[in-house]
Amino acid sequence: MDKSKMTEMFFGPNHPGVPGNYGINYYYEGDTVIEAEPNAGHLHRGFEKLMEEREWIKNTPLVCRICVMEPDINEMVYAMGYEAIGEIEVPERAKYIRSIILELARIQAHIFSIGGNCGAIGLYTAMQWGVLARDYILDIFEEITGGRVYHIYIRPGGVRHDIKDETFKKILDLLDDLENNRLPDVQKLIFENPTAQKRWKDTAILNQEDALRLGVTGPSLRATGLDHDVRKLMPYGAYDKVDFDVPVGHNSDAWTRMKLKRDEIFQSIKIIRQLINNIPDGPVTVDLGNALKYKIPKGEAYVKVESARGEYGYYMVSDGGLKPYRVHVRGTSTPLGLYGVEALLPGTRIEDVPVWAHSLGICPPEFDR
Amino acid sequence: MKEKYKNSKWQEVINWAQKRSLFMLHYCTGCGAIELPPTMTSRYDMSRFGIGPAATPRQADILIITGYLSTKTLRRVIYTYEQMQDPKYVLGFGSCTINGGMYWDSYNTVKQLDKYLPVDLYIAGCMPRPEAILEGFLELKNKIEVGDADGYKRYKTDYEYYKSNQENVLGEVKRRQ
Amino acid sequence: MRNEKELIEFIKEKLNPLKINKLRKNNVVVQLNNSELVSGLNFLKSQSYSHLATISCVDWIEDNEFELVYHLFSYQDKINLSVKTRIDREKSKFVTIKNLWKVASYYERDIHDFFGVEFEGNDNMEELILENWNELPPMRKDFKTREYVDQKFDWRQYHGQE
Repeated sequence: MDKSKMTEMFFGPNHPGVPGNYGINYYYEGDTVIEAEPNAGHLHRGFEKLMEEREWIKNTPLVCRICVMEPDINEMVYAMGYEAIGEIEVPERAKYIRSIILELARIQAHIFSIGGNCGAIGLYTAMQWGVLARDYILDIFEEITGGRVYHIYIRPGGVRHDIKDETFKKILDLLDDLENNRLPDVQKLIFENPTAQKRWKDTAILNQEDALRLGVTGPSLRATGLDHDVRKLMPYGAYDKVDFDVPVGHNSDAWTRMKLKRDEIFQSIKIIRQLINNIPDGPVTVDLGNALKYKIPKGEAYVKVESARGEYGYYMVSDGGLKPYRVHVRGTSTPLGLYGVEALLPGTRIEDVPVWAHSLGICPPEFDR
Repeated sequence: MKEKYKNSKWQEVINWAQKRSLFMLHYCTGCGAIELPPTMTSRYDMSRFGIGPAATPRQADILIITGYLSTKTLRRVIYTYEQMQDPKYVLGFGSCTINGGMYWDSYNTVKQLDKYLPVDLYIAGCMPRPEAILEGFLELKNKIEVGDADGYKRYKTDYEYYKSNQENVLGEVKRRQ
Repeated sequence: MRNEKELIEFIKEKLNPLKINKLRKNNVVVQLNNSELVSGLNFLKSQSYSHLATISCVDWIEDNEFELVYHLFSYQDKINLSVKTRIDREKSKFVTIKNLWKVASYYERDIHDFFGVEFEGNDNMEELILENWNELPPMRKDFKTREYVDQKFDWRQYHGQE
């Protein structure tokens, strides 16, 4: 390829439009990208090696720091992997509480993502509203678990402690407020705004054949017409006891994905109301003995859950000792952030590259680990 | 500035003006950056103190190192710091900049930030709340008024110390302006 | 639509597995020979196992072998199938599967960075996540991370209140 007429651009780590500390180096000519490659590894901390050096319980505060937007999903997968190898059964009340926490985390991740997408095209009012609505949900987390961002609440065997009835009433009041006051305002500002529609329609297209070939999951795959969702395919927690729909789109551009995220927020509100009204009584954890001497027999497991952006999987191997033998983390945006840049980005305009990165949900700490 | 104006009444006026308009470089280096959007937006508003975000290093005053630094990021942060104009301030954010924090036994993160860049203020926490960040900024403004925030002068006088520490970890660092 | 038992019978009849068993609900593991792995994956891909989640590598230092695990999933059967094979630790070479799934080229580059395994046929093996790394590949079991940190970085000295 004759590169003498092309210009090289570093859409690099120090940029307000990139979702995290991550870079894309690309060549462009005129207004269109011709060739691109990812520049990853700025956030590498060596999680998989650190997890082999610490006992099973000491990894619980470490695992939630892998993905910073939605930390509860990592604690859930680690606990599920431990319980799968050790064949431990979690009590019913703990399953309901875990599902409530995961759905609240999904709502706040979607609100933050909608706000971030609007910031990438210049609609700054929506970004302020999005961050504010997410802050009220973080207040609820602080009342339940003690921390705003990192909770360390779900652990092998159940959850750390029980939730009181007044907190359930506060959650229901907050959901009423979101559904009746804030989301209709957001609907008028973003989704009925002709400038935003013009900017998002027909940009960052991902068709169904490419998505299946790459291994993409989550809202990016559901926007192409298939309704695959791990909560319905392989239910975990209390998801087989509630009734909800999985929204599907047909156009697979950035506009369809935004509408899917808004529809999923309404479905999550419906799930939380059903869970709170039907929660049983009972213990919230199984007693596993001395925490520093947790042990499970030899074995391996591959477990996965549905996070706000797609499928999240862990492969865990145990050799019967006090520390894990191998833990491998498969983040959601691994195929899109690494290979997708090389295969799908050529052909877009250079002002649409931040929209592409934000709307497909690329989160760099997941593949850098 | 001419020598006869330093340490005189002019310096006090300049310090007063400088502490009321600080620009922060919008570079999210680590996981602590998730608590910056709540600080910048309307709930814990920081622009009422005169602090706002800037896009490029040539136009910024404060460089916030939010959290841990891997060796790949350290190289880019050194280039960014040397591109900023005087006077400039560095804030260490979180407990990973003090002594390694949660990743103390990782092969890819640096343990003490003080050996590679001159730090003016540390904010403790993992991660710090937005109210703690605002208190850190107010403390920085007091230091500027008194004349204590002189990290940029220390970088010039102790340049050999910082340079040898950086090259121990990174190999060769090309300097260009 | 097959359940786990029918899948195990089907694989025993069509391929030549060394070991195959059902771990728990929705999780089946099968081990194949080195030379039959690529043809086995090609066959499974045509039988609706077309979603490649990731490729992992485990270092069994006492057996002196690396184990490569390919995680497949089928949207019709709803079963997670893990296909394994073992290679020698000293030579550490294997063939690439990037002709079946193009996205595997980046997963193999990642394994090369951390374990030092070479894949024939994949010509882009530059450093992806580490930069200027000259020691042992860090995820091997004989790389001790705490000794490396003690030797390269210093710790802060704390003096008590006087």
